[in-house]
Amino acid sequence: MRLEKCYFCSSTIYPGHGTMFVRNDSKVFRFCRSKCNAAFKHKRNPRKVRWTKAFRKAAGKEMTIDSTFEFEKRRNVPVRYDRELVTTTVKALKRVTEIRAKRERVFYKNRMAGNKEREKAEFISEVQRNIELVQAPSTKIKTQVSKILEKKTQKQLQEQDMEVDG
Amino acid sequence: MIQLKSILNVIDNSGAILAECIRVAHGGRYGRIGDQITVVIQKARPINTSTTGSGATASTTAAKIAIRRGEVRKALVVRTRKETRRADGRYIRFDDNACVLLNNRGEPLGTRILGVVAAELRGKKWGKVISLAPKVV
Repeated sequence: MRLEKCYFCSSTIYPGHGTMFVRNDSKVFRFCRSKCNAAFKHKRNPRKVRWTKAFRKAAGKEMTIDSTFEFEKRRNVPVRYDRELVTTTVKALKRVTEIRAKRERVFYKNRMAGNKEREKAEFISEVQRNIELVQAPSTKIKTQVSKILEKKTQKQLQEQDMEVDG
Repeated sequence: MIQLKSILNVIDNSGAILAECIRVAHGGRYGRIGDQITVVIQKARPINTSTTGSGATASTTAAKIAIRRGEVRKALVVRTRKETRRADGRYIRFDDNACVLLNNRGEPLGTRILGVVAAELRGKKWGKVISLAPKVV
């Protein structure tokens, strides 16, 4: 059984899932689910739809150039079955995914580097722009406290009235 | 889902271009890939009189029967727009409804098939059609 990739979102299609569309020029499009199939029918471009792998790669959100991607490729060369070879490939698979995960983490870190400072600077500039809206905290709290106190006294008065009536 | 009045493309070199279904052979409601149907030819390639005329009749008519508009023929459905389920649970769908003309013995009329053909035919004694097709999906 072969695990195919979805034409639209590039996710893996497991056996028994998804649909296949064959155009008259015999190009085959595979879809992992009806969501991707419907998007294709709507003639959406996967590079412009934000949740697809194609978009994320095109927008620089994911690692694209890496030697670990070279392993997962279609090779149209038949290989004779060899027990040794299978065990070594399985072992190598684990190692490769490990390395890729590590590199992806580094990529993500680099991508996010400097975000905190930028955000902070933005907040500061926003506050400075609208400084007239900012009240001194002490006065704000004072007004709130006074309001709460007023409410309390009113409640007490009401209760006293009730008692008197009773 | 081929039924009465469905129009199919004819993708062999028999000379027909469009065919209209008038009966599904197995008696069910819809014809699917691998089903035999009866069709009326709605559009055919013009017959070249110079070759099919009196001069070269002996050689060409033996090799090829001229198909005319309005003729009733047997045909085999090879592609459907309606998706069909594969044994592994996947579904396969094509761009159009297409058929191949057959003679009365159930053999393909044309000598060539142009275009993709579904692999479902393989399990249904249509090996000849499969072998003629340039691509099987």
